[in-house]
Amino acid sequence: MRMIWLIASREYLENVRTKGFWITILIFPVIFIGIYFLQSVLSDAAPTRYYLLIDQSGKYEQAVDVAIERNHQRRILQAFVQYLLDNRVETDFELTAANASSAADQFVDDVDANQVAALDEWLSNGGLDFALVMATPYLKKDSPPFEQSENQFILADLPSDIDTSAAPADIVEALRPYLTGRKLIDSGEDSGPLFALILIPENVDQSISRPNTAPQAPNPNSGIQYWASNLTDSRLPDAIASSINAEIREQEYEKLELNTELVRNIQRTRMPLNQLDPSAAAGEEAVSMADTFRQFAPIGFVYLMFISLMQNVQYLLSNTIEEKSNRIIEVLLASVTAGELMMGKLVGIGFAGLTTIAVWLLSFYLFITLYNSSETELIAQILEVILSSDLIPWFVFYYFAGYALYSGVFLAIGSLCNTLKEAQAMMTPMIMIQLIPIATMFFIVLDPNNTLVRIMSWFPLFTPYVMMNRSAANPPLVDVIGTTIVLIASIALVLWMSGKIFKHGVLRTGQPPKIVELFRLFRSPK
Amino acid sequence: MPDSVLSLENVVKTYGDFTAVDGISLNIPKGSIYGFLGPNGAGKTTTIRMILDIVKPSSGTISILGNPSALDVRNRIGYLPEEKGLYKKMKVWAVIQYFAMLKGMKKKQARDQAHRLLEKYGLKDFAESKVEALSKGMGQKVQVLSAVAHEPELVILDEPFSGLDPINQSVLEELINDMASNGQTVIFSTHVMQHAERLCDHILLITKGKKVFDGTIKQAKATLSRRVIVATKNDINLLNQLSGIDSITGTDSGFLNEWQLDISDSFDPQEILRFCAEKNIGLSRFEFTEPSLHDVFVHLVGDEAREHQFR
Repeated sequence: MRMIWLIASREYLENVRTKGFWITILIFPVIFIGIYFLQSVLSDAAPTRYYLLIDQSGKYEQAVDVAIERNHQRRILQAFVQYLLDNRVETDFELTAANASSAADQFVDDVDANQVAALDEWLSNGGLDFALVMATPYLKKDSPPFEQSENQFILADLPSDIDTSAAPADIVEALRPYLTGRKLIDSGEDSGPLFALILIPENVDQSISRPNTAPQAPNPNSGIQYWASNLTDSRLPDAIASSINAEIREQEYEKLELNTELVRNIQRTRMPLNQLDPSAAAGEEAVSMADTFRQFAPIGFVYLMFISLMQNVQYLLSNTIEEKSNRIIEVLLASVTAGELMMGKLVGIGFAGLTTIAVWLLSFYLFITLYNSSETELIAQILEVILSSDLIPWFVFYYFAGYALYSGVFLAIGSLCNTLKEAQAMMTPMIMIQLIPIATMFFIVLDPNNTLVRIMSWFPLFTPYVMMNRSAANPPLVDVIGTTIVLIASIALVLWMSGKIFKHGVLRTGQPPKIVELFRLFRSPK
Repeated sequence: MPDSVLSLENVVKTYGDFTAVDGISLNIPKGSIYGFLGPNGAGKTTTIRMILDIVKPSSGTISILGNPSALDVRNRIGYLPEEKGLYKKMKVWAVIQYFAMLKGMKKKQARDQAHRLLEKYGLKDFAESKVEALSKGMGQKVQVLSAVAHEPELVILDEPFSGLDPINQSVLEELINDMASNGQTVIFSTHVMQHAERLCDHILLITKGKKVFDGTIKQAKATLSRRVIVATKNDINLLNQLSGIDSITGTDSGFLNEWQLDISDSFDPQEILRFCAEKNIGLSRFEFTEPSLHDVFVHLVGDEAREHQFR
């Protein structure tokens, strides 16, 4: 026992002293925090975008303005909600952030087209200041002042050589250099590339499609033309389409002499839909965000398990090969038994892996405690959900089981190879096998008790991953107990076999043994 | 034999059709320096691995420090394998400490011993260096020290001299002598006959897995006849008249008129000088030497040793 401990502590310390270990430990929090900040910087730094509107029909200019104004208001209100959440005193109500933000969205959606201007006026006349005064008692004393952002989409000046009554194709041709960025377009004092051209042809109304008419073949020249080089930012075209559609419907109501006010009110009636969980206790059936997180949390655990196991077995492998190629193994085997050596390695490197996970979790915890914002608060709440759920014991069990199983296999591989290159060839199939449960983890979490998934659970190399993945969905007891028995039996078998291979393999030089030789080895008594 | 630290009884090791060690028996007395000699592939390393119970013999029995398996008494044995290697990233003193601790020494005791040995054998300045910073020879010295730091009763060194420069070879000889005078038994294998000749009380000579000789150096030399080297331009065959001379052959030195005279045990070499003076045979060289261990090796191992005789 003392020998196992001695070998384990040497393996541990040697690993912890390598540069690679610290790079692995640090890269995860650095990337995580980096992505976090990068994302918030990117979303704050939306550049000003210039657009041109040429409405030959003369009907929809206002609808486009409304769309752009609505987009602007949405951003301001979202920023304002975010500001209130970041600076509020009370932080004990659950997952408010997401709710408040969708409430703000709905509010903007509900504002009528002819009220958008009023909302805009309210905003620009200091309406938010008034709201701010009302909110002040609930905000922290040292809160920074709220700053309204500028409108993101700015109407550019029409270049003087453009004839707005020309054929649409000619207009597009004339503006093409601006759209592709070869020429900059002016807008008051400033100038910049033209982000989008919204061209509404004179006869655009002929393109309106109505129910109970024959569907028209798609024609890029019909309807509103939205020209932009950036194809991924769909906020502007979406906003314009819905705004113009609202306008058209308004016209239809008027044509039918309906009370538009009434129609609008009818459109705003809603019926809530509640998701309920039949397995939850009475009174707690409502599916909250926390439940949803709990369902998806296993993915995180599976991924963490995969990364950590991969790291550990790599250490184990390169370590064994070092000792083997240096022939240190011979001295070791004259001092300790092969079993003690193997166990010492497993324990020592296992602890190194646990250290990595511990440091990751600690840095994650420190980040969400020290850096206080509404997002980190959200993460903290998710974390709380996960920690208070029964997923942790599952993770601990499957982590250790997976480690024992895979390290046994990799140790055997290491003891048969003389160089890392040789080992890599034998390792690749093992990694491929692990990629199967990793690649399917999203499907498994969506349908955790599906027949195929249940069958996969019984394959010992998949069991730790797949069962962890299913853990939040209360898998049938027969699966849990059965796969655990198979898993533990396979661990015992793998460790016994790799012990044999290890004992035999570490002293051999030259080619890895043939399958037949290995087979003979397992049958030999000693 | 009560004083025997190690005895092998008809030990055989086969790998498939290949017999690596073929029925070796031997007894090693306590406190002796024992040399395993033999050409490459003779079975020295396999024999050593069987002694250490790293590989199991196919048949035969081994008794080491009164036990059937070296694993039971592994803390009383020190071992340096043929192929040398250490943990590259560890500090020199820590490596010695680690291996001593694996042999059951306490942590502090092992550390003190490591520093003491490094100082004694000229590696004090490298105690804090990493192993990878050492030259090959220095690394090998460190490895020898790590094998013997726990002061084992029985030390087994497989080719300890290979790769060392002459100065460090003598440092190692000093270490081996120190251990023997400390009452420890040392077994080492080597190709280099001079080391064996200088150090060993007993030698084992094996080739192709078979024992060809086992005994003291003196007994080994006795297997060869005594010889006199002479050089003369006169007719050498006149010497055939002397009854104590068994044979006259040309030496392999390359000189045409140099001869090796094998003489019988009771024959006094002075007789040759007297005879030559009488018969007017002019001698430009007369040398009466004991056969070296090298000669014994070449004689006993024969053609097997050819590829090694210049080592």
